[in-house]
This record gives sequence, structure tokens and C-alpha cells, in this order.
Amino acid sequence: MELLAIFISAILINNFVLHYFLGICPFLGVSKKLDSAISMGLAVTFVMTITAVVSWIINHWVLIPYKLEYLQIVSFILVIASLVQLVEMFIRKTSPPLYQALGIYLPLITTNCAIMGLALLAALKNYNFMETVVFGVGSGLGFTLAIVLMAGIRERLDLADVPEPLKGAGIALIVAGIMALGFFGFSGMIK
Amino acid sequence: MNLSSRMIVVLTSVGVLSGALLSTVGLLTRERIEANRLKEIEEAIVSVVPGTTVNQKIYEEKDFTVYATRGEAGQITGYAIYTAGTGFQDKIVIMFGTDASLQKIFRLTILDQKETPGLGAKITDEEAFLQFWENKDCSQPLTLRKPPVSREELGASEINAITGATISSEAVLNTVNASLAKLRSLIQEGTINIEGNNGQ
Amino acid sequence: MASKSLRQEFFKGVWDENPIFRQLLGMCPTLAVTNAVINGLAMGLATAFVLIFSSIVVAAIKKLIPSQVRIASYIVVIATFVTMADRFLAAFFPPISKSLGPYVPLIVVNCIILGRQEAFSSKNSVGRAFIDALGMSTGFIIALLILSSIREILGSGTWLGHQVLGSWFEPWIIMILPPGAFLTLGILLGLIMVIDRKLQRSV
Repeated sequence: MELLAIFISAILINNFVLHYFLGICPFLGVSKKLDSAISMGLAVTFVMTITAVVSWIINHWVLIPYKLEYLQIVSFILVIASLVQLVEMFIRKTSPPLYQALGIYLPLITTNCAIMGLALLAALKNYNFMETVVFGVGSGLGFTLAIVLMAGIRERLDLADVPEPLKGAGIALIVAGIMALGFFGFSGMIK
Repeated sequence: MNLSSRMIVVLTSVGVLSGALLSTVGLLTRERIEANRLKEIEEAIVSVVPGTTVNQKIYEEKDFTVYATRGEAGQITGYAIYTAGTGFQDKIVIMFGTDASLQKIFRLTILDQKETPGLGAKITDEEAFLQFWENKDCSQPLTLRKPPVSREELGASEINAITGATISSEAVLNTVNASLAKLRSLIQEGTINIEGNNGQ
Repeated sequence: MASKSLRQEFFKGVWDENPIFRQLLGMCPTLAVTNAVINGLAMGLATAFVLIFSSIVVAAIKKLIPSQVRIASYIVVIATFVTMADRFLAAFFPPISKSLGPYVPLIVVNCIILGRQEAFSSKNSVGRAFIDALGMSTGFIIALLILSSIREILGSGTWLGHQVLGSWFEPWIIMILPPGAFLTLGILLGLIMVIDRKLQRSV
């Protein structure tokens, strides 16, 4: 049941955006339209799952056995950057419709701190392989949930009478704050 | 030099330089970082088992480590148990000390937690929580007293809950009870014994 | 750009192009570590260290790097300095390193740093790159200090660990929780807009 706890916690309690503040840039930048938010969320989930697997392998098969922990940051960032490139090329070759849907979001993901954050947090929490994979999928879905909810709210917000200085990022952050408060209600549900 | 060989040369040299720099930094800081980590554990052990001067790790698995502790004259003082459980938000990492017969908890300290500041985070507070753990009878599972009462009124194996943070208090209590049960069964199986000479 | 004085180069990072309040870059650390002034300050200084040294190195070697591999090279340079900052904190300030957790390594994906290399250091002299990085760092630290001061004073009644509000004050715990970070920054952004508009009107 440990795995289920990690999964639910990654989606609802320690949500990447609303608890760890990771992936704020796409959360604010790509949440203006619902359908692009869904695509972004799925692209992130996809890359996060692969990153979880690859970063675990690097950490436990290379860095820890050879006592190279100090190369963690450099190796993670390089691996993530090349991984995103590979995924992009692979999707373009194999599935043009999927590329159409996710293509433009993939390059944006390289500098997305959520991906790097996932690799670092999984290493920090000392998860085993299965736990890392579940953590990756859960965190991706948590990100998707947050960005989709945000897009839904922002589409309606367009019609609202927001005070001039708060238009744009200001009101988006306040909405995120209220969402974070709502998600806070999920704390303590895992015992 | 054509472009692609220049790219390779540049990337390789950037990589080699950074690698060289980092391994120097890594070597220079490794010992100190390791020492910091050990010192934290060491200090926690001494604080939870009074009179301890030496300790020996006798059992280790994920989130559960047992140290056998000895005093100045080499006499056995008890066990220090490092354990972790799920709290309100995230993991709570605990160290507590017991006597050698596992009948009494000397003290408990929280090493790491991410509970709500001002509520659950009070589990690190001496006044609000930690004082109730001093010299508790743990021959039977500990129970939570709610609403909290004064220290004198508290039963021998009762711990006061923190007002407004029952889940965090319960999390610590359950983790301690589970660790004690686990340690008892490990001792019964003969996997560990207090002398610390389990096959080593 | 060459017409700008060094003074202007410095101050643009503090106000006109403040990384947090204007460019909305580097939001993750900004929101995550500003629950106490000490964390905000440590984060600001660590980021400043990485930004300044990366900018100097990138400006110094810019001519040697073919443009196709520039991003990869910048990332390695940045990651090197981030690792140094991370190891330094872990070795000499373990409590701060522990409370900042993964956010020090995450400086590597802070968009401010890569952004400045791409937009400025790779096109300017070492001296200018240094001044620009210094200005941006100052702007970043000021923003972190403002945010963390508001959150720590209202959320714990203290500033840098010292009691500033009397015992009559019931701390607003929400301020040091994640929602408080979003709300404070959102309102601050609104305030900055108001101030800016007043300034422009008076000019």
C-alpha cells in the first residue's frame, strides 16, 4: 500500500505545482486555454515517467556505486535535456498526430523545473525503483490536474472584471493561492 | 578545423574542465558533509539515551535503524531507534531511546518533519509535546490522551495529543508503537541482540 | 545597447527588468523558499553566486563556442557552479542546506540564469556581463527579501528569527504555507503595477 500512498500523495497532497512550486512557468504560461493545458499536462506526465526511470538508473547504477554523487546535478540536467530531444525525435517519426498535439510543448519542458525537481526529489526521498516510477506518474498527473483546473478557471476569468493592476500574472497567482488552499484540505488523508 | 570537430572539442573540454573542478570540490567537501550527517545522528542518540558515550549500529533497513548504546564504563544503557512514519504532510523522522529491556522510553526527538507550522509542527516543541515522552512505560502500546491533561494526571503509558494536530501526534505515536513491536520481534527471532555481536 | 552606461546596466535589473516582479522568471525558488527571511537570503546569495560566475565565464569563452552547442555548454557551466554552491552549503551550513532541500540544485533550471546567458552574456564583454549579473542578482535578492519579510513577519511574527510583533499577535499561519506564497506574490505584483503607473504619470 506504500505505492498507493506515494501515488495519491504526489497527486493531491504534495502536488508539484501547489505544494513544491515546481513547474510554475508552464503553469502560468500555458494555462490560458483548456486544450493546450491538457496537452501540456500529458506531455509533462510522459516525460516525467521516462525521467523517473532514467534518473533512477543513473543514480543507482552509476553515481552511487562509483561515489560520484557530486555529479548528480550535472548528469541529471544533461540527461533530461537529451532525453527530451530524443522523445521529440521519436514521437515525430512514429506518431505524427501525437507530435502535432504535444510537439511544441516538448522543447519547453527541457527548462521546466518540474522535471529536474522530480529527479532530485526521488533521489532525496531515497525511493526504490517502483516507488520512483509511481512517484513520476503521480507527479505528472498532479501537474496535469493543477494546470487543467487553472485553465478552466482562467477561461472564465477572461469574462470577469479584474482590477487593472492585477490582470495577467497577478490574478493568476491569487487564483493559484486559493487552489493551493483548497488542496491543503487533502493533507492528512493518508495514514 | 571544421565545425563538427570544433563542436566536439569545445563540448569535451567544457565537460572535462567542469568534471575536474567538480571532483575537486566533491573530494574537498565529502568528508565534511559525511561528518555533518553522522554528527546529527550521534547527537540525537546521546540526547535520547542518557549517559551514552558509545553506540553501535546493530540493525538497519529502510527508515528503521537500531543502535545499541553503552555508557562510559562500557555498561549497556539501552537502544536508540531511528524510524520514520507518514504524518499530516510528509514523512516524520524520529529518534527515540529505550532501556535495554524495552520497558521504558527515555526520550524522543524529531529529526525531520514537514508538518503544518504552528499546528502539527508542534511535535518538535518541548513544552507542547516532547516532554510527555520522557520516561514513559512502553511495556504495552502507548495511547493518546485527548484532550490533553497536565503531566501529573497523564497515565504511565499515555501521551498528550497536541490540540488541533491529532493526526501529527497520532503519526508519531503509531510510528513508535510499530517500531517497538518490530524491534521486539527482531530480538525474539534472534536477529539482533543487545550485545551487538550479531554475527559480526 | 552599447549606449547604456554601466550604471543603467546595473539598475535595469533592480527595477525595470527585475527578474521576479517584471520578467516573472525564477518563480519556483521565489515561492518555495520565502517562508523565512534566512531561507530567502541564502537562496538569493546562492543564485547570485551562480549567476555572476556563470555570466563571467560565458562572456569570457563566448567566441570559442559554436552557436549549435552553446546551450549545452552554458548548462554545463551553470550546473558546475550550482554543484559548488550546493556542496558548500551542505558542508558549512547544514541546517540551511536541509531547509532549502532540493531548491539549491534546482537553481540549475532557474530560467533567470540561462536567460541572462542567452540574452546578455553571450553578446557582451566580461565587464558588462558582470555588471548585468550583479544588477539582476540584486533585483532577485531584493524581491526575495521583500517577499520573505512579509511572509515571516505575518506568518510567524518574527524577522530573521527575532520577535518583532508582540505576543498579542496571532500569527497568520497561512502566510508560511504554500497558499500564502501565491497570494503574497500575486498581491505584490498588483502593487508594483500601481506604483509603476504612478511613477510614469509623474514623469
